[in-house]
Amino acid sequence: MSKVPALELNDIHKTFGDVEVLKGISLKAYDGDVISILGSSGSGKSTFLRCINMLENPTKGEIIFNGEPLSLKPGETDLVAANMKQLTQMRQQIGFVFQSFNLWPHMTILENVMEGPANVLKRPKNEVKAYAEHLLNKVGIADKKDMYPSQLSGGQQQRVAIARTLAMDPQVILFDEPTSALDPELVGEVLGVMRNLADEGRTMLIVTHEMNFAREVSSEVVFLHQGLVEEKGTPTQVFENPQSERCKGFLSSTF
Amino acid sequence: MELSVVISYFPRLLDGAWVTLQLVILSIVLGAIFALPIALARISSSPFVRVFPFLYIFFFRGTPLLVQIFLVYYGASQFEVVKESVFWPILREPFWCAIIAFTLNTSAYTAEIFRGAIQAIPVGEVEACKVVGMTRFQMYRRVLLPRAFGIVLPAYGNEIILMLKGSALASTITLLDLTGMARTIIARTYTPIEIFMAAGVIYLVISMVVIAIFKQVEKRQNRYLGPIVIKVPEKG
Ligand SMILES: Nc1ncnc2c1ncn2[C@@H]1O[C@H](COP(=O)(O)OP(=O)(O)O)[C@@H](O)[C@H]1O
Ligand SMILES: [Mg+2]
Repeated sequence: MSKVPALELNDIHKTFGDVEVLKGISLKAYDGDVISILGSSGSGKSTFLRCINMLENPTKGEIIFNGEPLSLKPGETDLVAANMKQLTQMRQQIGFVFQSFNLWPHMTILENVMEGPANVLKRPKNEVKAYAEHLLNKVGIADKKDMYPSQLSGGQQQRVAIARTLAMDPQVILFDEPTSALDPELVGEVLGVMRNLADEGRTMLIVTHEMNFAREVSSEVVFLHQGLVEEKGTPTQVFENPQSERCKGFLSSTF
Repeated sequence: MELSVVISYFPRLLDGAWVTLQLVILSIVLGAIFALPIALARISSSPFVRVFPFLYIFFFRGTPLLVQIFLVYYGASQFEVVKESVFWPILREPFWCAIIAFTLNTSAYTAEIFRGAIQAIPVGEVEACKVVGMTRFQMYRRVLLPRAFGIVLPAYGNEIILMLKGSALASTITLLDLTGMARTIIARTYTPIEIFMAAGVIYLVISMVVIAIFKQVEKRQNRYLGPIVIKVPEKG
């Protein structure tokens, strides 16, 4: 395996107004890594994840995808993409799963999953359809493919959202608290799907509050506190023997 | 009441209704075509781009439709350049003057309706477009405009009804639309009640057809969408 990280973030800063929410976060993800990002609410987890594909513009820092730095230029208050084409191409290869699913409500489940590969990647429709059906089968929603998002439960919608992301064959997938908007009894079905992805060797960055899950699937765990990496290591290191007091406190409060 | 007058002049009233329909359909279609770029410019991130649609909408919402019609009809002939230009054969015709005034007017209102609809689309749906790597164009074509179309329907149906009623003003520049025709008939028969009642009924029937069509389209379009409410500009 080549030793160029699939994704490398260097010294990411983000300021909202005059509040510095991210104070310099660096992280490397190699192919097959599953990195869980933990931290209390407001520590900057979502902002960091959203900076990776420029849903939020970082104020400073470097985003390197497969060894290729994303070109950024100064905007009014932060850095903006200097080359929209490069950014859209990078986004096509980095999946993002939202806390609130964000399916397109005017499209059926199947159309939601087909949209990216068919109309963005412009792959042949029949291939895309077969692949989309395969993915819906994989996440256990095949029988709902002609329904609309509003007719599905939250857990089902999130599994569709994961299938929609997988349909792009992304090299890296970012998850922002994918189970936090779900009723407790629906969390398991989504975590099950994600566990399978981890077993397949997918490269994933996961912001989550599901500690047991993070412990079992992660190759690395990162604990954020007030916009900085406070602790990082293997799940065993971080969960069994955390070095920082804050991380200890956080873990004891969540278990 | 002399119903025989209504019966004998009914075909003429239908001729007028046909002119009304042409006025409304043409200006609504043209208005919608113009409204889209105006709405997109209105939500541009550049303040310089935004100011033009703002002033356009400000003018057409802030002045009476009747004044706008007169400005086009009487205004155009004031200028020698206009009279000598290739547009004169068009600007000379009251029908086309009415179409121009109605189109400009309805495009301003429709642009506001489109803008409200696009801005009512939840931001998460837009972000879902971005993360899949859509270009701006793809985002509008595949998600924003189809979504906006569904959201816009009730307000847009309303705008068509208002345009239908507003089209009666075309009679002030000699057009024989439904209202103009009714007035012409009355000048001959002196039966204003009967003829205006008949004209009113024809307007009502057209309105009902428009409402029914929109109900159906809305039902189809928004089958599985939750309600999204947008603010609609008051028609003054
Ligand atoms: N768009 C925004 N504008 C202003 N402040 C924001 C915005 N988004 C996030 N923040 C602030 O940044 C901080 C980190 O937020 P977030 O990244 O969402 O934290 P987390 O995901 O860890 O809960 C919070 O204090 C939040 O209020
Ligand atoms: Mg968050």
